[in-house]
Amino acid sequence: MPPETVPPELPTQLSAWKDEEVALLESLEQIEHKHGFIPRNIAEEVSRVLEVKLERLRKLQIKVESNVRKEVDTLVTKWKDEEGSLILILHEIENQHGYVPREIAMEVSYALGVKLARIYEVLTFYHYFKLKPPGRHNMSLCLGTACYLKGAPAMLAEAKTLLKVEEGCTTADREWHLDVVRCIGCCGMSPAMVVDGKTYGRLNASDVSRIVNQTTQPKAAS
Amino acid sequence: MNKLTFADLEKYAKTMADSGPNWVRVSIDTGGIAAGADTVCTIFEKGVGTLGFPVEVRHVGSLGYSFADPLVEIAREGMPRVIYGRVDDEVAHQILQDHLAGRRLLDDHILAWRNRALTFDGPSTHILVKDTSAEKGDKSQFFQFSLAEELKRCNLQDKVQVVRALDMGVYDEGVAVQFLPSRVTYTNVLAPDVARIVKTSVQGKKIIDDLLYKKPDKQVRVVMRNCGKFDPENFQDSLRYGVYQGLVRVLSGMKPEDVIAEMKTSGLRGRGGAGFPTWLKWQITRAVQRTPKYIICNGDEGDPGAYMDRSVLEGDPHSVLEGLIIAAYAIGAARGYFYIRAEYPLAVSRVEKAIADARAAGLLGDNILGSGFSFDAKVRLGAGAFVCGEETALIASIESKRGSPSPRPPYPSERGLFGQPTAINNVETLAAVPAILVRGGTWYSQHGVEKSRGTKVFAVTGKVRHPQLVEVPLGVTLRDIVFDLCGGVFGGKAIKAVQTGGPSGGMIPEHLLDTKVSYESLQELGSIMGSGGMIVMDQDDSMVEVSRFYLRFCVDESCGKCAPCRIGGYQMLQILNRLARGRGEKGDVERIRAISTAMQKASLCGLGQTAPNPVLSALRYFEPEFKAYLEGGVSYARKMSANRPPEPVAAEPANA
Repeated sequence: MPPETVPPELPTQLSAWKDEEVALLESLEQIEHKHGFIPRNIAEEVSRVLEVKLERLRKLQIKVESNVRKEVDTLVTKWKDEEGSLILILHEIENQHGYVPREIAMEVSYALGVKLARIYEVLTFYHYFKLKPPGRHNMSLCLGTACYLKGAPAMLAEAKTLLKVEEGCTTADREWHLDVVRCIGCCGMSPAMVVDGKTYGRLNASDVSRIVNQTTQPKAAS
Repeated sequence: MNKLTFADLEKYAKTMADSGPNWVRVSIDTGGIAAGADTVCTIFEKGVGTLGFPVEVRHVGSLGYSFADPLVEIAREGMPRVIYGRVDDEVAHQILQDHLAGRRLLDDHILAWRNRALTFDGPSTHILVKDTSAEKGDKSQFFQFSLAEELKRCNLQDKVQVVRALDMGVYDEGVAVQFLPSRVTYTNVLAPDVARIVKTSVQGKKIIDDLLYKKPDKQVRVVMRNCGKFDPENFQDSLRYGVYQGLVRVLSGMKPEDVIAEMKTSGLRGRGGAGFPTWLKWQITRAVQRTPKYIICNGDEGDPGAYMDRSVLEGDPHSVLEGLIIAAYAIGAARGYFYIRAEYPLAVSRVEKAIADARAAGLLGDNILGSGFSFDAKVRLGAGAFVCGEETALIASIESKRGSPSPRPPYPSERGLFGQPTAINNVETLAAVPAILVRGGTWYSQHGVEKSRGTKVFAVTGKVRHPQLVEVPLGVTLRDIVFDLCGGVFGGKAIKAVQTGGPSGGMIPEHLLDTKVSYESLQELGSIMGSGGMIVMDQDDSMVEVSRFYLRFCVDESCGKCAPCRIGGYQMLQILNRLARGRGEKGDVERIRAISTAMQKASLCGLGQTAPNPVLSALRYFEPEFKAYLEGGVSYARKMSANRPPEPVAAEPANA
């Protein structure tokens, strides 16, 4: 799930727990640095703790997954009487999560009795469905004909250098996702792009950095 | 809402919708919203409360003047109706203050009326003025000043206001003026004419014949008849503007055969691009004996650069739904689907609302209007695949399969959705159906040329001065559309070509712009009508680059089912990529031709068969440019095409 959809009342342990293995890794590195190797007893103890931890994580995963199951079940019952409902269900999942997570796809396959391969056949065929989580901010640059003729390629190049990603990719910190779309239907104000659902039109390459800054630091810009 | 009856519908159609003399209509469609129409609308909604007299603010669909988004149309008691364009927040505040409260029109934002009058029907209260020539050095301000001075000399300055307009709807005709409210338009006005205009036309209310612009508006709005007139989300408004009157006529006594016969008289052909006669499609589907039958509205507008279906669905969803119900009645279908791109969320939500409203009013469901005919419709979303505009692929997509086309026959009319007889019609086709049934097939067929009857909406975009939607009767020339209606090329450059039909269409070079637009004529030129995208290219655009762009689109969108399309497209793209980098090899042009022929002959569906069209038509008309790339590389080719002097005929519109 993308970070922003996590509800605010996150269990307080989570943040400490996330840093745990970082601290552990650091101390192991210190030991390695000191002795030149990791002593066997320490290694054994660490692996045992990891085993225990993995077991607990699996339990956690099951907990989370039962949620997924509930979510999928409601969707499936909602569209049950509809012929050819798979794409409708996938649309809802995509709209809710911003992408189609694998575990949900698996759950859908189970609930509908459709093979997972069939679901992925559909998912990978249509451009609308994404398999990877989107970034915190999403930029869709229009490369329709009108925009193309009026300078969208230069905007794309600018966006690529600015965000340091290729088209269709997300930055390493998951802040920005850059997409190229074919016509958003705003040819009257080409070249255009959509950033976080807001459409900007009549742009040129220099506007890209302005919009990026405005989006990342809304306060500073206003 | 209670179930409606015939009498209710008639009553609605007879009551006028405009409730007060003062109203503001804001075009809220995707293009408008992108330009900020929703904030403008809130400003009006908040602002009218402080004016002290009732003003109704309404959301409407788009009028089609996309270059001037956001659009606002305003009626104020005792003042002529005007359309404002490029209304940002500041302008909206100004309109509230100056126009609605202060009763003065704003400079530089008004769009002149296209339905020009030839006589004065009363005293003029406002004069719009605008220099329409493309050259630099705008003389509008000078003429505004001299007209105002002249009026002052005649002591008319309080009765007549002179306003600079944003756009006059006529282009390259010197200085143009339009008198409001009569809408008489003069063009090629020169400085000595000013005194004459004030004396004869403003004081004497007489026409000055040598200045009068007599050409009638080339646009005929059938499909877009309701766009921009009322709130598409307001069901009662739709009824008051006569939507569902076609259905009333059909269900109060017409047999399905009569409907098909009426469609035959109208000569309406599929507006999705191929131009298959609509009546024939319905008749074939009707003739198949198996039930249930399905009807599908194809709103998967995948052509980059085309957005007329979106505008119609957003501006007038009820008319499309009405067309769908009529089509269902004609073929005997009990179920219908709207297949709409998921990229058009506003269109989807408006159609969904239209369906829900119609269902609540008994226009969908069992026993519609007591006629015994039952029908229901649903919305299905596309998921971003261009090939799904092809009918067999579209059907596969509604069935939740991957959208790969299947070989025809069997045609969908025989074996379509869920294996049942299915008719698939484009949004524009269905929107024209109710108008045909209300006003008659003969009326519709009076527009058009030869075998192409009626009107067609085109989205004119690219390097054009005023990108917009135009609806014209078939048979007008491309030059009329690009120069007379849209103002020619952006930045005053020379036009190189017009591309029609999107990735399946072709380039039409400048010297063929006088071709009358029809299904057949465009096909002869190696292009197609397509869904109606029309992209204008100027001398700076390299044909190799543009054909590479279209081919890349087709390669990206190829479903991969058949080899000619999958492999042929890719190989051709490789050659073009090489060529565009200046690394062309001898024989590349011939190789492109050979691959194209193979793709056209052997591909399974329309996408593959038509994918080579842009490249082939570019080769057909611009082969020297390809040769220049081949021989001398990129910069040499640029130089060659830049140095080529534009032909003398090219510089000015044909009928200037």
